[in-house]
Amino acid sequence: MDERPRNPHEVMENTSQFDLNASLSLWLARLAQSPHFRNENVAEMESHVRDSVTRLRSQGLSEEESFLIAIRRAGSVAKLEPEFAKVSRSWANLIIHGLILAFFSMGCFFLWGITRIPLMMAVEHAKLGALLPAFSQLIIRAAPWLIAPPLLATAYCVYVWVRPASSKSSWPGFFATAMAILFLLAIPILMAAFLPLINLIDHIPVESFQP
Amino acid sequence: MLTKELVAASTVPLVLSVLTEGETYGYALIQRVRELSGGKIEWTEGMLYPVLHWMEDEDMIESEWREAETGRKRKYYRLRKEGRKALHEEKQQWMSVHETLTKLWKTRPSLT
Repeated sequence: MDERPRNPHEVMENTSQFDLNASLSLWLARLAQSPHFRNENVAEMESHVRDSVTRLRSQGLSEEESFLIAIRRAGSVAKLEPEFAKVSRSWANLIIHGLILAFFSMGCFFLWGITRIPLMMAVEHAKLGALLPAFSQLIIRAAPWLIAPPLLATAYCVYVWVRPASSKSSWPGFFATAMAILFLLAIPILMAAFLPLINLIDHIPVESFQP
Repeated sequence: MLTKELVAASTVPLVLSVLTEGETYGYALIQRVRELSGGKIEWTEGMLYPVLHWMEDEDMIESEWREAETGRKRKYYRLRKEGRKALHEEKQQWMSVHETLTKLWKTRPSLT
């Protein structure tokens, strides 16, 4: 498993039980558990601690002492994590923006699909010599405008993606806004689809209920 | 020792300036700054590496994994065009602060 070159002198000279590679692997494994540490970050920390150990050993410290001082200087995992999170979080932020955008666009498309339902019922209304409720007609006419919210959201996401990297995560605000807009759009659209149904039931000739 | 705020403000210009001397890796960067500052600027790894990665995202610097003389791999950082531009701007800003303070402290020596 361990492909790192071992220095034979170090191993022979080390009379205590201390194994640098094993201890270092353990420490790095703890770092790797954090979602904010990419493999590359862990490799860089390893390289750093090894440089540090080499330097301290050359000053006469034992391998174990050098290792303990090196990782203490590098900072505990708890202290390193938030520092790395500041940088890596922005990536997660951008990806989450994309997911929200996809969900929001699908939601708007779905709502547009619902506005087609009263349109189908218009044929039935015509057979009965009735018109669709005015509100439903209004919503059907306004339906093409449902393309606007996803376009606006896309423009916002493009802005987020190209603006200089910031450590702040802005997706919660975007999520809340997108969900609120979907909810507010859904209410009149569902009403517009529901009204003609009531109308139809009112207009169904009585004889059709008889077998 | 510098205050936290001053460390935060000076890290990027210091990294850029050290990199004008040629490419280097994280550990050597910390050593170089400690040496130049006479031990007054002690960077921690937890602070420096995230800054380096951020600067890389901003195209100020680029990095490359390479094998060092010791046979171990190290991540070397190098200055890019964007970084030289950033350094130029940083230089002007730091110099204007420096000049102003110098004038003030010269005309009013009683302050210190």
